Amino acid sequence: MLRLRATFEKSGRAKYISHLDLNRCMLRIFRRSKLPVWYTEGFNPHPYYSFALALSLGFESSCEIMDFNITDDNMSLDVIKDRLNEVMPEGMGIVAIAPQIKKITAIAKAEYEFELKSDDVQGMYKAVEELLSAPEILIEKKTKKGIKTVDLKPDTEIVKLEIAEGAVRIAMRLPAGTKTNYNPTLFTEALKKSCEIPFEMVNIRRTGILCENNEKFS
Amino acid sequence: MNLKEKIEKHLMEVQKPSRYIGGEVGSIVKDKASTDVSFAFCFPDTYDIGMSHIGMKILYSLINSRENFRCERCYAPDVDFEKIMRENDIPLYSLESLEPVRDFDFIGFTMQYELSYTNVLNMLDLAGIPIFAKDRTSELTQIVAAGGPCVCNPEPLADFFDLFILGEGEEVNLELMELFNEMKKQGADRLEFLRKAAQIEGIYVPRFYNFSYKADGTIEKMTVTDNAPTKITKRIIKDFDNVFYPENFVVPFTEIVHDRVSVEVLRGCIRGCRFCQAGFIYRPFREKSPDTIYNETKCLCENTGYDEVSLASLSTSDHSQIDEMLTKLIDYTAAERINLSLPSLRVDNFTEELLEKIKKVRKSGLTFAAEGGTQRLRDVINKNVTEEEIMSTCKIAFEGGYSSVKLYFMMGLPTETDEDIIGIAELAQRILDLYYSIENRPKGRSPQISVSCATFVPKPFTPFQFEPQDTRAEIERKQKLLLDSVKSKKIKVSYHDSDVSQLEAVLAKGDRRLCDVVYTAWQMGCRFDSWSEHFKFGTWLEAFEKCGVDPAFYANRKAEYDEILPWDHLDYMVTKEFFIRENKTAHTAVTTPNCRQKCSGCGVNKAAGRDCFC
Repeated sequence: MLRLRATFEKSGRAKYISHLDLNRCMLRIFRRSKLPVWYTEGFNPHPYYSFALALSLGFESSCEIMDFNITDDNMSLDVIKDRLNEVMPEGMGIVAIAPQIKKITAIAKAEYEFELKSDDVQGMYKAVEELLSAPEILIEKKTKKGIKTVDLKPDTEIVKLEIAEGAVRIAMRLPAGTKTNYNPTLFTEALKKSCEIPFEMVNIRRTGILCENNEKFS
Repeated sequence: MNLKEKIEKHLMEVQKPSRYIGGEVGSIVKDKASTDVSFAFCFPDTYDIGMSHIGMKILYSLINSRENFRCERCYAPDVDFEKIMRENDIPLYSLESLEPVRDFDFIGFTMQYELSYTNVLNMLDLAGIPIFAKDRTSELTQIVAAGGPCVCNPEPLADFFDLFILGEGEEVNLELMELFNEMKKQGADRLEFLRKAAQIEGIYVPRFYNFSYKADGTIEKMTVTDNAPTKITKRIIKDFDNVFYPENFVVPFTEIVHDRVSVEVLRGCIRGCRFCQAGFIYRPFREKSPDTIYNETKCLCENTGYDEVSLASLSTSDHSQIDEMLTKLIDYTAAERINLSLPSLRVDNFTEELLEKIKKVRKSGLTFAAEGGTQRLRDVINKNVTEEEIMSTCKIAFEGGYSSVKLYFMMGLPTETDEDIIGIAELAQRILDLYYSIENRPKGRSPQISVSCATFVPKPFTPFQFEPQDTRAEIERKQKLLLDSVKSKKIKVSYHDSDVSQLEAVLAKGDRRLCDVVYTAWQMGCRFDSWSEHFKFGTWLEAFEKCGVDPAFYANRKAEYDEILPWDHLDYMVTKEFFIRENKTAHTAVTTPNCRQKCSGCGVNKAAGRDCFC
């Protein structure tokens, strides 16, 4: 059996597919592909596949990760990739397929890119810089146990901060995986509190799923 | 900002945004420039409901199978998105190319249910298309059309539509689009097109027909202008086994009501239950061969990736080769790990072998439509089901491991007495007693008998089209009587809202004078009337009052046999004489055998020019 890990793209109209719907969508993709995908052996057998991280509704991504198994050991990875790509909906596509190397628990961070659109871009840029230089970035986060206040400051790594095409463009790394998951909207919520300028967060895209040492998870 | 950007700017503010952006697998996006005629197929309810509709899937694929035709889908936005659309000047648009519906040549609605009429008006308004047909441009564009079961009496919608398509659309829709293409090239205008269209069999152009009324409110006479035919006959597909069927469905991202492959196995019904409109307007009875059904099932499952398939028909077990068909299908679905579901199974021909086959497929609840609580009433409505048959089927089901049964009944049927209502509770009790009397019944489970009670709605093109509906007060009294007659907690009773049923009766049997009521109700905020959370009966009553129309005239009045009914000029191939004969027979509590046993002379074989069973 081939234990495989697919990296896939989810963008354009496909960003409106919710995580729950993505599950159903993937089931149908596997069925349409007619690949010898491994089925679970329980009471209600279904193709086995598992997503590494959930992606928020409305976010694009070029690096989503899904594990699945193929029962035919002799199948080429290129053939599997092509057969899946043939039956994917608009906006979705397999970027790469490779054997599973690390354990899912090795995921520690995710990298996001987004833009803040505003009539006062310069002012926005300054507001972001100010927030980032504050001693702490406190924000209320909904968790399973209720609302709790977290400090984003120690865990936020800024990769890029620039003005481009009339917007402030930011790339940042945030904790992700089995322990802590921070959504970049937490950061913009904090920004909404600290700055007076109205803005809109657009073109949100996950660009990387990383291990603790910033190495790409694979 | 283009329309797509405008939509996307607000999409994250609404529930289930994937319903409003298209891009689904199986959707057909064509180049506008390389097609001649465009058709916006509109379903007057939300995406979740409309995407489940099999007729729309058929016609969507059919139109798009023609190289020079383009068909795109459109559904009613839910209230949250409607608000955003109105606030941000987003016009009603199609899902394939996100193009405003007002730019299409045809705006075609399928009318499945009377309580979706206000949604049509709302969608036209959102599209920026004049709501009344008379207010539309004289140019040849924006032809607003409707088909579906409700257009067998389209009079309450007559002022809003340019034309109605009667009967099955697989041939006539293409003929209509061809005519449009030809006349557009010739530079014809709307009226010229409609005159020609009215000559196509099955096309009803309401503006060419005028009605006058007697002092008592009934129709005095109908006059015809513009050389339109005095009788408009519905269309049927003669060679049903070879009729077009889609090779692919649009596969939604979000979960819809019927989220599976459906394959139509037969059309029409041999039964002739006297309350049932579908049983008459879809005649004649026609079947697909087991091979065709198998091929269509396999093709659709492979192309869509669905792991569930359902057989669609009015009564699947009436298929003459049901055993062969199921054997073939179950072999395939079991090997491919596909669930097969079989709705619409009748009580009387439910054999042990059939149950065995279904059990292999899956174990869900069993549902029987008994409709009447006593044998006398079941005979009146021609539901040819005896109590012994119900009991023997339940016995097989209980012995086969089922412990819950759902029973459908109707309340307010013609000739109904309190005895019939009490009979519903007694029948449910006897089924429960039967369960406890069975030695090898399922152990450790509590049985449940669910009784679901709808209110009888008299419908056009049925033997009961002449019958009055019970008043609200009477229905509520009967509902209470039923509740009081049930003695066991294992029998659960549920019933429909009688207000909804009354409005349904008015709109089903109404004439043109109701157009103003529908318009007024919509203006006063009515829409999604079939959704209990949106239904505003009080507003509807106000609209009736404002327009000076008495709903009871339509719902609660008995029509004489010689009265001109609002749908008498439409020919659904079953004769009025037959309905009168059947109505008289009903009042003597005598049944009529099903079409396979004996032809009852409804007229469809003559009109269709073919024998029903050959």
